[in-house]
Order: sequence, then C-alpha cells, then structure tokens
Amino acid sequence: MIAVVRNHILAFIFLVLLQALVLDHLDLARGWVVPYLYVLFLIALPFETPPWATLLLGFALGMAMDFFSSTPGMHAGACVLMAYGRLLMLRLLAPRDGYDPLKRPNVHDMGLAWYMTFAGTLIVLHHLWLFFIEVYRFDDFFSTLLRALMSAAATMVLCLLAQALTSRGARAR
Amino acid sequence: MRDLFRFLFRQRNNLLFLALMALSLSLLVNGNMHQRAQAISSSNAVIGQIYAWRNEASEYARLGEVNRQLAIALAAERDRKHTLLPVADSSAHAEIDSSAAQHYRFLTAQVINSTVHKERNYITLGSGSLAGIRPDMGVIGANGLVGIVRDVSPRFALVTSILGNEYRTSVQLKRSGHFGLLAWDTGDPSTASLTDVAKHVAVNAGDTVVTRGNDGIFPPGVPVGTVIAVMDDPGSPSHIIRVHLSEDLSRTAYVHVVTDLLKAERDSLEARASQP
Repeated sequence: MIAVVRNHILAFIFLVLLQALVLDHLDLARGWVVPYLYVLFLIALPFETPPWATLLLGFALGMAMDFFSSTPGMHAGACVLMAYGRLLMLRLLAPRDGYDPLKRPNVHDMGLAWYMTFAGTLIVLHHLWLFFIEVYRFDDFFSTLLRALMSAAATMVLCLLAQALTSRGARAR
Repeated sequence: MRDLFRFLFRQRNNLLFLALMALSLSLLVNGNMHQRAQAISSSNAVIGQIYAWRNEASEYARLGEVNRQLAIALAAERDRKHTLLPVADSSAHAEIDSSAAQHYRFLTAQVINSTVHKERNYITLGSGSLAGIRPDMGVIGANGLVGIVRDVSPRFALVTSILGNEYRTSVQLKRSGHFGLLAWDTGDPSTASLTDVAKHVAVNAGDTVVTRGNDGIFPPGVPVGTVIAVMDDPGSPSHIIRVHLSEDLSRTAYVHVVTDLLKAERDSLEARASQP
C-alpha cells in the first residue's frame, strides 16, 4: 500500500515535469498536435481508488499543470471532468464480479480493447474540454475539434508507448 | 433533516465534482478578468526556478544561435550610431526640452521559458521586480516586438506574448503613417494580422509595420513585421492584411524590457485634462 502511494507520487511528479519541460515544447505539425501525456497519471490510478480521491487528485494534477503553463483553472477543469468521467467509465466497464484487486488499468492486465475504450474515451473528453476552453470561442469549431482529436490520438500513442517501455514489474504505471 | 443528510451523503461524489468544477471555472474566469490578481503562473518562484534550471541545461545547445542574434543586434546598433549626424551647434539644445531627455530605458532579460503553439502564449523571463521590471512594460527582441509584462515576482517575470488574443498593439505602416491594430488570429507563430486599416489606404506587400508608440508601453518605430498579403473583405470597411512578424518568437533568447521614463508625467497630465 505504502509502496503504491509512493510510486504514484513519483509518477505524478515525473509526468508533470515531463509534460511541462519536454512535451509542451515539442513543435509537432505546426502546433496542431500537442500531446498531453500527463493525464496518464489519472488513467493509471488503481481500480480501488476511492471516488473522492480520484476527483481531488484530478484537481491537484490539473492545478500543477496550470502553474507551469500560467493558465489558472484550465487544466484543473479538464482534469476534474476527466476524473468524473473515469468514475462513470469504471462503473460502465465493470466486470460482473467487480475488478480483480490484483489488476491495474493498463494494457498488460486488461487487454488492448478494454484499454483503448477506457483510456481513449477519457483522453478525448479531457482534450475536447481543454482545447475548447483554450480557444474560448466557438468560431472555427471544426479546426479546434480536429486539433483536439489529433492531439488525443498522439496522447493515446504516447500512453501505449509508455506502457511498452515500462516492464510488467513496474506497477506504478 | 435526516433525509437531507442521507441525500447529501449519497451524492457526496457528485457534489465534490461540482464543487471542484466550480472552483476551476471561477479560477478560469478570475484569472482572465483580473490580470493583476493571479498567483497561478510561471512567474511563481518555484516554477520559475524549475524553468531556469531547464533553460540552463538547454542553453549550451542554443549558444551558437544566441551569438548570431547578438552579433546581428550589435551590427544594427553600429549602423544606427554611424548614420546619426553629429549635432552641429550644441547651444541650440541649451533649453530644457523634454524631447531631448532620455525617454526610454532598456533592461536586458533572458528568456527562460516560452511557448508559441498554444492559443495564448506566455514567456517567462529570468529577471523580475528586483531588476526593475514591472507589469505593463513592453518587451522587444533583437528583431522586433515580443509582448507585454503581465506579472512579476522578485526574480521572474511573466510576459504575455503577441502570439495570443489578449491585447492588440497599436501599430502603423511606416511608409504612409496610417494606424492599425496588430491581432494574432492566424494560429501561425510567424504571422499576424493588421486590422482597422481603412480600404482607401494603399497597402502593398513588402510594406514595413512598426509600433506607433502612443501607448506608453513601446517606443515608436519598433519593427513589427512586413506585409505579405493584402486581402479584400467585401463586407468590411477595412483591409485584411497579413503581416510576417520580424521577431521569430520560437528562437528569442534575450529580450529588452522597455521602461517609459515619462509615462507617469504624461499620465498625470492626461488625467488632469480629462477631469471636469
């Protein structure tokens, strides 16, 4: 239990710094693709995380990003929405006899199809909120939509890559 | 009463969600409305320090580029100095004339973090209020306009980049002297739009755009960019003008922060004039 908490604290710090110091500075497709890999932290929380903790962690994660990108409330709102979406998705996708307490929400334990549904929905939810709040208006609706979806695809690829790179033993992911 | 508590308890996660969402949205609204009252930014001491470390680590890789920029700026400065004619008769300047007094002071600051691909872009500088930087000062790079200081801490400053829609700088066409406003609506970090230039004004591709210098933020004549295209919008009384920005904001490593030394005097005069 203590090891799990410690590993998640380390993952939180690592992902926020990776996002703020590396990923935010990538110049992909003239700014049309901005992967937000830091949301992997919320996706990878253990199944038995209490709902209130998921919501509070989502808010904390978003605020940490907001401090780095000087956008008060923008990432926080997206992450709180995503945390709430995660609670709904977990209920929707739950196996009949509940989640195996030894498993984690990742590709190794849950399979690719389950993971793509679960993580894909959450990433799209987060990115849509973030990109539409960022532009703050609804003209050029389709270009914003396209940017959000392209970035969501990039985030998904990075999530899968991150899991391919971390071994089965590394349970923090 | 007990039913109410039971209801609240059963709905506690939904209520927590709503509370956190409301908090995020209020931060979002307040952060954008009251620019001064925002502590959540990268001018914060801890975040600023982290960006300063990152910049230190990546600085070596950029030294060649920084040297090139500095050499170009130095050459431009030499050019300017040698084209100024010496004053023939110094007694002509004996009267105290405010136009001869130093009007602007430039502070050098290092860029330690910047983005160009977001909808609103910010730049973090490695100097803050201890170096004399204050909110609302103008920021210019070696080649042109960069942004306006939004927030300062003792050792860092946060600059609102011209790549964003938060304010419009007053600029003018150098050749004809007509005014317009610079807006960034292209989504491309190397171009911007010049708005509010009436259709009867002849604008050609290649025309130079400079700052107007009427806002107490930028000196007049700071290069902004060159016109690359003039388009016709049948429904509007003004041109649609695309401007190629002369400063490449994705590479800017050092900037000058402009202090208008006479701003206080000018503001108080204008405030007095506007009183009944």
